[in-house]
Amino acid sequence: MTISRRGALLAGAGLGVAAVGGGYAVATHDKPEPPAPPTTDAKGHLLWRNWSGVQHAYPAARLAPKTEAEVAQGLKTAVAPIRPVGAGHSFTALAPTDGTLVSLDGLSGIIAWEGDEAIVAAGTRLGALGPALAAKGRAMANLPDINKQALAGALATGTHGTGATLKALHGDVAALRLVTPKGEIIDCGEHRDGDVFQAAKVSLGALGVITQVRLKTTANRRLERNVWLEPFEDALAQAEARWAKHRNFEFYAVPFTGLAACISHDETDAPAIPRGPDQDTVFLDALKGLRNLLGFSAPLRKAAARALLGGTKPEKAIDEGWKLLSTERPVRFNEMEFHLPAGVQLKALAEIVAIIEKERPDVFFPIECRRIAPDDAWLSPFQGEPRGSIAVHAHYKDEFAFLYTLIEPIFRRYGGRPHWGKLHSVSGDQLAGLYPRWNDFLKVRAQLDPDGRMLNPYLKGLFGV
Amino acid sequence: MRIPAALVLAAGLAACSQPVPPAPTPAQALALAPADPRLAALYGESCKACHAIPGTGAPLVHDRKAWDPRWKQGEAVLLDHAVQGFQAMPAGGQCAACTPNDFNALIRFMAGREDPAR
Repeated sequence: MTISRRGALLAGAGLGVAAVGGGYAVATHDKPEPPAPPTTDAKGHLLWRNWSGVQHAYPAARLAPKTEAEVAQGLKTAVAPIRPVGAGHSFTALAPTDGTLVSLDGLSGIIAWEGDEAIVAAGTRLGALGPALAAKGRAMANLPDINKQALAGALATGTHGTGATLKALHGDVAALRLVTPKGEIIDCGEHRDGDVFQAAKVSLGALGVITQVRLKTTANRRLERNVWLEPFEDALAQAEARWAKHRNFEFYAVPFTGLAACISHDETDAPAIPRGPDQDTVFLDALKGLRNLLGFSAPLRKAAARALLGGTKPEKAIDEGWKLLSTERPVRFNEMEFHLPAGVQLKALAEIVAIIEKERPDVFFPIECRRIAPDDAWLSPFQGEPRGSIAVHAHYKDEFAFLYTLIEPIFRRYGGRPHWGKLHSVSGDQLAGLYPRWNDFLKVRAQLDPDGRMLNPYLKGLFGV
Repeated sequence: MRIPAALVLAAGLAACSQPVPPAPTPAQALALAPADPRLAALYGESCKACHAIPGTGAPLVHDRKAWDPRWKQGEAVLLDHAVQGFQAMPAGGQCAACTPNDFNALIRFMAGREDPAR
């Protein structure tokens, strides 16, 4: 279905409440761009802004090292706070600094292979790593649903995909090299300097700059991807069985529609069926149009959504995993995601959908629901037990304070751990209560960076330093 | 020396009617890169992820039909959009190492305007 046809359908959905032309205009109405900070500040420093636009800074200096020696030399003399940055995909204030911003873009590519483990430069973007690994017939076991991030940033924030038996990305790190703020180079791994390794795997860029990672890989298998819509209640009822059955499974609760969009991936040897053009943007445009047109009446909006989307045909594609597991996300948004004990995930999701449909008619983004296997990194949100993640999004032009006031209390009541790169307000002692090794991490941090040169104000607050 | 008005007019018309090159194929778009190695590295790390893949919503590299309306806004506006972010374009094109001169050069390259005469 094309965008223009959806537009026509949306106009049709507005019949009875508006003239066709007026209904179409309302449905497709777009808010203005949010005000942007100036390109440079009064001192002439260039603006840095994150992907969604919600964080910004004017770093006094920018480093773009191309070697570990340049990283080490740079860290020794750089103006603090020193903050490493990859693609800037985090929504939290991990990267902003008025001191030194260290871009990892110059440290990119596969450095070497040790058997089936790849030594990967930490600035490599996930989107570039897929084809580079595939050239040797290998792949990352799992990928997040966006692949624009740098590997180091993805690891630092506990970035993950979905699959009951699949760990988050850092779960496949066998070793890493860390350059501390003093310029020391530490090689650590499963069999060497274990405390630093367990602290560094997920470390928010707070211990120094990770320059390279030894990454376990899997065979580059072909996957069959299936996408379908079904009633939300059916998705809730079958979710556990599907996590048990499929290599990867996730679903999106679509508020104000009564529907869920389900996505599964399973290994196959069947011939490739290339993935078609991106449908996510079309789908989001339709949901935004329904919000604009019928946001005043949840029952009318739900009926129109079912009429418009209910007959959507399932999609199927077969290709190598790195081509399917991540999708383009051309529509920017802000996001809060928490990782809950698996046993309460679906209950919490139902509660969140209900409260959004009761109190927030402006929300139209689908709510993402995934499952992740446990690992042992000290600050991993998945440390010690499988967790179910729930992610709530707001279009980048829409107000998102409700994420803190309405959604986060539900996440916290269910024992959720925040995604480090996504919006949350948890800090200090609250985090100590969620992470058994929290204080051990703080000790390692203090040893490696006693002067706190890697800490910006946000991290000082987060760590209670 | 005086140049005949008709010749000036003909030259002007020739310049105006210079055909816009066709958009690259997906394979051609993927293969394009700035000639300067530093710019090529920045482009490959950041811009290419969206601007070399049809259907991402980003104007395709060297697709003059897509770029020309943007180019008409002026390089200063395009630089502000690149640094600040605009619509689907993330701020800085996710390139934290890029300087304003880098952004200008990368915009010229992607817009097919590296040759100032075109």
